[in-house]
This record gives sequence, structure tokens and C-alpha cells, in this order.
Amino acid sequence: MSSRCLVLPQVVAPRMLPAMDLSDDDAGLMLRYRDGDAAAFSALYAQYKGPLYRYLLRLVRNAGAAADLFQEVWSRLVATRARYEPRAKFATFLFHIAHNCAVDFFRRDVNLRGEIAAQDLDPPLLEPEVPEYQRPDRVAEFVEQQSALLAAVAALPHEQREAFLLREETGLSVEEIARVTDVPVETAKSRLRYAIRKLQKSLSPMLEPGVLPARTYA
Amino acid sequence: MPDKRMTDELEEYLAGESALSRQYRRESAPMPPHALDRLILKAAVAQGLAPLAFAASVLLSVALVLALVFGPQAAKKADDEPRVLKVSVYKTDPPRAAPASPRERNPAAWLGDIAALRRAGRDREADIEMRRFRSAYPSYLIPVSE
Repeated sequence: MSSRCLVLPQVVAPRMLPAMDLSDDDAGLMLRYRDGDAAAFSALYAQYKGPLYRYLLRLVRNAGAAADLFQEVWSRLVATRARYEPRAKFATFLFHIAHNCAVDFFRRDVNLRGEIAAQDLDPPLLEPEVPEYQRPDRVAEFVEQQSALLAAVAALPHEQREAFLLREETGLSVEEIARVTDVPVETAKSRLRYAIRKLQKSLSPMLEPGVLPARTYA
Repeated sequence: MPDKRMTDELEEYLAGESALSRQYRRESAPMPPHALDRLILKAAVAQGLAPLAFAASVLLSVALVLALVFGPQAAKKADDEPRVLKVSVYKTDPPRAAPASPRERNPAAWLGDIAALRRAGRDREADIEMRRFRSAYPSYLIPVSE
């Protein structure tokens, strides 16, 4: 059975609930799964599949790549479950895996393109192709399908976009975001600060209901 | 160095319920395709239970052989004394246990019994039955209940 799936994201109604309450009960579930309780994994999966999928989708800005990464993240978690120890929140653990998968994903692409370029053939037999998810027209197509806010998120620099998505999808603190992304706390704070500043600036009329531009009369 | 206004904006944002966060939560919330759900859950369940199912079947087999050859006391004595078993891990699928009863020959009915055990809070028995079920029907797709 091929591991590739037809990518047709489900369309769901807008969320009207507050941010997820991610408690350490999830670490308990992971420990139970580690010890053989498959139902515990199902419970974790049900709780985190949405936030993880949206984090990946809006980080890489491509549904196909997001689906591949999504599957890879869960595969890594299953493969390493025997070594799991609850040293941090489960969400921190899971999204650290996701961050590393995304880093590896982008690095593989850079290495592949570097290998092609390094063949040093004259003329080159193969032009290094831009992968689909990075092609400007594909990114533009993805952005066009988004709302104004999500388009602004997609336009953020990668690190700032990631910090914002981690905060919004998981509710993790700045310190936990720093752990997920392997940077100092001040760096994570700075990325988040610049992200929200840019988003608020680009969306200010929408974010301030009731503030209407003054009408002028001829 | 970030100015004070930016620091205040960040602090206000982190305090929760900012207009930006509210707007983000109003956005659509795409979920992974159902096909991905099934694939991931099947793999996780199969990998999570396979080693335990095999170890359980080895212990049961040893107890059964002792009971048949030496009588029930030998099996009981064997159970009383803790032993360390060397369990070989097969690289292929472990031997499948043949379903014992007519009810167990009906996978859907068997799963219904397991679900009833869970609802009754008899998780340990449910876990044992689920391991036996996976051993008997390793490829059966178990519906996900959310």
C-alpha cells in the first residue's frame, strides 16, 4: 500500500472555541501508549491532529507537502515511543518532532538541488527545478485561497510564521516555543513580536471593528 | 532594541484574547484527510500492540504445555515463580491465534464486546481482548471513534 494519500483537506466550520487547553494529562496518555495502550494513542491523535496539520499546512504553504510531513511526524513519534520520558509538555515534545521534520524536509530539498548544481556539467544536463511547494505561482495560488489574515501569515518570514503558528495552534509559552524551535528565549520572543506587529499592521482595519474611516463630503 | 510599544504589544498578545488571536480562531480549521487518519492509526495500533501480543501468546503457550504434560500444578507452580523469558522478536508477523469461539469468529461482534468492556471500566480485560483480537485479525481496520 502506497504511503501517499489523495490530499483533500476536510472543510470544517470556523472554530469558535478558545485556544486548546493542553494539560500534562497528554503526557500520561503518551506514557500509556508507550506501555501498550493503543486507545491512548487514538486519544492523543484525535486531540492533536488538527493543530499539527494546520501548523504544517500554514508553515510549508502546500497541502501535499503538509500531508507528507504530517504522516512523518506521527511515524517518528510511534517509532520512538519506547524512549519517551515526560521531560516537557507533550505538545512541546510533539511539535519539536514536527519542527525537526520540517527542517529536514527543507534541508533535503536544498541538498538535492545542491547535488544537481554540483555536477558541474557544461552544459548542465538537468536544470535544478524549484520544488512545487516553493514555486512562486504555487505559493501565490495557496495564498489566494486564504483569507486576508492567513494570507498575511503566509507572507511572514518563515521563522516568524512558525513562532506565530506555534502560539496560536498550541498555546505554548514563549519559553516552550524556544524549546520547540531550538533557539534562545529572546530569539523566540523577538520572532513572535515582529510577527504580531506585522500582522496587526497589515490587518488593522479588520482587527478593530467599529473603527470606520471618516467620510468626507464634496 | 525593541521599543516599549512593541514590548507592550507582545505582552498584551501573550496575555490572551487579543483581537489578532480572536480573528485567527475565526478562520477555517482544515483537518487532515480521513485516509491519513486511518493510515496513521492503523500503523500506530499495529506497532503498539504487536510485541505485547506475541509475548502474551508465548506465556500462554508455555503454561498450556506445562498443564498438558505435567498437570495443572506444574503450570500453577510455573506461574507462581517469576521467571525471565527470552522472547524472540520475529522480523515477520507473529503466528496468528485462531479465533476460539463463534463470537470471536465475528470481528465486528468481538470489537463490540471489547467496547462494552471499556464502557464498563474493565480496561485490563479490554486490553487483553484487544491484543487477542489483533493477533487473530492483524489487518482488520478498527473504526476510529472520536
